[in-house]
Amino acid sequence: MADNGRHETTVTLSIDGQEVTVPKGTTLLQASQALGGTVPHYCYHPGLTSPAMCRLCLVEVEGAPKLMPSCVTQAQNGQVVHTESEAALSMRRGVLEFYLVNHPLDCPICDQSGECKLQDYVHDEGRRHGRSREPKRVFGRDDFGGDVLFYGDRCVMCTRCVRFMNEVEQDPRLTVVERGSRSIIDTFFEEGLEGTHFSGNIVDICPVGALVSKDFLYKQRAWDLKHTPSVCPGCSQGCNIDLHVRDNLVQRLKPRTNLDVNGHWMCDYGRLGYEWMNRRDRVEAPVVRVDGKHRAMGWKEALRALLDRLAEIGGAAVRTVASAGASMEDLGALEALATHLGGGPGVFRSRVAPDEVPLKGFPRLVRRQDLAPNRKGAELLGLQRTGGDDGQGGLEDVADHDGIILVLGDELGDQEESFGSAAKLFVYLGAHPSRAASGADFVLPVTLFTEQEGTFTNHEGRVQRFWPGVDPPGAARPAWLILGALLAELTQGDTPARAEASFRLLAERHEAFDGLTYDDIGASGAPVKQPAELA
Amino acid sequence: MAYPYVSDREVRVLSEHFGDPEARTLEGARKRGRYVALKKALGMGPDEVTEVVKASGLRGRGGAGFPTGLKWSFMPKEPTKPHYLCCNADESEPGTFKDRELLRWDPHLVIEGCLIASHAIRATHCYIYCRGEFFEASSVLARAVEDAYEAGLAGKDILGSGVDIDVTVHVGAGAYICGEETGLMNSLEGGRGQPRVKPPFPAAVGAFGMPTTVNNVETLAAVPGILSNGPDWYRQWGTDKSAGTKLFCVSGHVRKPGNYELPLGFPLMDLIDDVCGGVRDGNALKAVIPGGSSVPILSAEECGACTLCYEGVVAAGSMLGCASVIVMDETTDMVKQVRRMAAFYAHESCGQCTPCREGSAWVTKILKRIEDGRGTEEDLDTLLEVTTQMTGTTICVLSDSVAAPVHSSIQKFRDEYLALIRRGERVGAA
Amino acid sequence: MSAEIPFKNPGWAGNTGEFDLTEEQVRGADFVGRRPLEGGHPAGASSYPYMLEEKAPEAALFEGPHLERFEKILTRYPDKRAALLPALNLAQEVRGHVSPDSMRRVAELLDLPEAYVRGVATFYTMYNKRPVGRYLVQVCTNISCNLCGADEVLDAFLRYTDTELGETSDDGLFTVIEAECLAACGFPTCVQINSRYFENIAPEDVPSVLERLRAEAEGAA
Repeated sequence: MADNGRHETTVTLSIDGQEVTVPKGTTLLQASQALGGTVPHYCYHPGLTSPAMCRLCLVEVEGAPKLMPSCVTQAQNGQVVHTESEAALSMRRGVLEFYLVNHPLDCPICDQSGECKLQDYVHDEGRRHGRSREPKRVFGRDDFGGDVLFYGDRCVMCTRCVRFMNEVEQDPRLTVVERGSRSIIDTFFEEGLEGTHFSGNIVDICPVGALVSKDFLYKQRAWDLKHTPSVCPGCSQGCNIDLHVRDNLVQRLKPRTNLDVNGHWMCDYGRLGYEWMNRRDRVEAPVVRVDGKHRAMGWKEALRALLDRLAEIGGAAVRTVASAGASMEDLGALEALATHLGGGPGVFRSRVAPDEVPLKGFPRLVRRQDLAPNRKGAELLGLQRTGGDDGQGGLEDVADHDGIILVLGDELGDQEESFGSAAKLFVYLGAHPSRAASGADFVLPVTLFTEQEGTFTNHEGRVQRFWPGVDPPGAARPAWLILGALLAELTQGDTPARAEASFRLLAERHEAFDGLTYDDIGASGAPVKQPAELA
Repeated sequence: MAYPYVSDREVRVLSEHFGDPEARTLEGARKRGRYVALKKALGMGPDEVTEVVKASGLRGRGGAGFPTGLKWSFMPKEPTKPHYLCCNADESEPGTFKDRELLRWDPHLVIEGCLIASHAIRATHCYIYCRGEFFEASSVLARAVEDAYEAGLAGKDILGSGVDIDVTVHVGAGAYICGEETGLMNSLEGGRGQPRVKPPFPAAVGAFGMPTTVNNVETLAAVPGILSNGPDWYRQWGTDKSAGTKLFCVSGHVRKPGNYELPLGFPLMDLIDDVCGGVRDGNALKAVIPGGSSVPILSAEECGACTLCYEGVVAAGSMLGCASVIVMDETTDMVKQVRRMAAFYAHESCGQCTPCREGSAWVTKILKRIEDGRGTEEDLDTLLEVTTQMTGTTICVLSDSVAAPVHSSIQKFRDEYLALIRRGERVGAA
Repeated sequence: MSAEIPFKNPGWAGNTGEFDLTEEQVRGADFVGRRPLEGGHPAGASSYPYMLEEKAPEAALFEGPHLERFEKILTRYPDKRAALLPALNLAQEVRGHVSPDSMRRVAELLDLPEAYVRGVATFYTMYNKRPVGRYLVQVCTNISCNLCGADEVLDAFLRYTDTELGETSDDGLFTVIEAECLAACGFPTCVQINSRYFENIAPEDVPSVLERLRAEAEGAA
């Protein structure tokens, strides 16, 4: 064997004239992707086994008698591979023509249009016209249950959906029925996908519009959607997601690949739990109680009034009600302000499910019992959880407190209108109006996580960044900015201008986050420090 | 006594007892010399047995013609896990009917071959996979296997040799693709009979994930004779590259269709005219498919030079395949027959690979349209290109098999297609 | 086929050509005489001839001698899943077709997902997805038989049973379908009726074959 001092654990080969060295066991497709190549494929998916049956990824390997399926052919030393040679291109053109024999070309009425791998590949490499003049096979639309609709006519039989349910969710609900050109995907008769927890992923991985989401059906065109990286707020797993937004509304959530957190997947509960992000009932302007009446005013005036009131009161015991759905930056600023004002216990409420739902084929991903994205973060900042598993109760201590009450992000839905009536100062920072906050002295509009930059800390202490995909309504501002500005005034410090600055401030105050920066966290997260008592 | 017709040009090694009802009983089989070779083989080492078969030049009789001894030698020599032998009795290639005869007339020959082969590859269990339609053949075989067990010829410590080999008759449920070796293994394991990607090869990862060899019934039936009489005995027949005898399944427009066992290298026209009594009704010969529907069609002119051995048929422009000779006379409607063959492949395609799944059905539809008089000349080009796109691009070669009849018939009988296209009426049919 | 070759009774290829054998001599006593359901060595347990005359779509599955046979089959494989085809064969033998309930029962028996069993059952031609007539007439129309008039034989069966392709006759006796090559190409046209091959069938033989079957059905009634 050639001896260039190479490790035995790697192989070096040439793909389209470029040399590349990859670990042994890497497939030609993966090696090509490492070089930035895009060999078309359907049945291959990095999170599933490879049956090599779509025959779209065939490439030319010098010395091999036939074209080789690049998704399963392992790279060997000295191989010379051509993915764009005449032989490979004409083969792909041929296979794509076969797909078009029965495909109904529903593009005008198909949800997948604009994000469809058949459109993309045929446009790039297919024949201008398919030659088939024969009648196409028809299956019609089948409701698979759950959120999934199946348009059998469009199916390209890649079987990714079947393999996902078998291998990843490990609830084998789907199968291929019949044989040959009559074969199609189906469930066990009427049983469908009811009772599954991750079946929404099959809509993601379906390369065409055969599997579509009922929730998204006919809602938007893919090319109109703006994608913003974010973190799912459904539970403390912290699946990386993308917000898909149009008209300033979140239209759907899609998982974003992070092999350390959620793989390529997310659960149905998180995926479909986005409607609340589009709630119209928002607090849009700062409201101050003047002479018993609530008056809307601008930020400068409202904050001035608040500072005046604080000066009037002097020091007082503070009771804080925060939220496990607020960002690290928001909570950090809240905790810093509360401490400065006199300190006192800070609590939060959150819902806890009776069980967790693991994704058996990717065990890192579990729909956690904590149905909030930042419980761990709140606790790391010294906040205590109170109340029941339904997220209610636990505020007896706060309701008739006679000092300062700060509420951030908790709608106080179960509290009386008399909440905080005994307080010297009751400040409600929230996105949504609250009946129980009708007695608040200050109602300050804050942004939702979709409208601001920030971080959450997931169940295992991983800090993950999210970005704003929606413009906030009215005068709403991030809580960390409002509270940061207040604290800056009170301490003659600087108002943090960006979320990153606010995060830095909290990292300085809390050991677990010491030294962590936004750069470290990047788009895939970074762990907090785990001293024994925090773990 | 071969069956149903006898020719004195036959060399009845495997088919000696066709038509002899006593041969299927254990007593009758023993009288006819069965299980003598087994005893001899069990006294030899496994690799020794393999060498004998290698030297004999025996090639797989299921269609691929792969040297059998070489195939056996791929199996691990030091088993760390169970080895399996699968006897492929899923005879479904159109035109082929030899394995059924072997199973129902001389099951003990097949069983003996399986046992010897199992010993050679160190297999502990042999599965005889019979196609589901073979109720009769598998019933005869099952009785024979039971008798063998009872007599200590199968199971533990066979004939006191210390070798344990189990035999199980497994019945399929109707799928041609289960005759493909990896499709057979998937079906045996209780799945859809879809072929597997190779590598890994069966000798490394086969049935139940274990090293496995799959051999055809006729291949295994040849083994006892080779062991008893030695490789040179087998080589007295046939050619250098195609040793031994072969069961030729002749069907179609001949006077005396049936199985005929002849030395490889036998001239095709001798088979048709002499052995089979010539084309029926004195009609003129039009075409012959020499090896089952998956091989190219030979025109009558090409048959004259064709000798029936692996290399001889290739030289004539086709392949020997499983040696199923389908004879077509002047009354044959070629387009209809090619359409029927394409329909067969479309029906039997497992559906995994896109070119085969879509292409086989598409090709069938085009041919039907031509047959019905609504075809165009462009369709012929499409047929040629589409079937070329189906060749060499799939997991198994069912897809390639669609190309064989289509290409060869368009090449050699283009005028029939054109007549249908131009006049919209049928020609060639009686 | 040519009149030169005499064959007297279609049904088995015993008396074709130069032979004159009874059906039992050709097919074996077990097949002709109907093997009992009980007993027998596990090695051949999947292959007992399926000769149950009456199919009962609602019959209990895997009880009595069928359970015994199934358990013997199970012992032959290292993995339970390999007994799936034999189990489906048995279920169809009893009920006449493979219904969703049969698939459920087999899935339960073998600890397999139901959807998986459906995927396997629908792959194979011989599993009837819906009930068929008492006699499932499968006419081979593949090339060797086609060259020798299989289409005419098929038409004759359809005509004389008064059915459409794939439909069951009004009296519930016959369902006629096309079959792929049955591996009896030397005896065209081959017709498989339930578990039995009828070889060398010509269109003129069809009425007598159907007569025989009707008489058999009547005798059993």
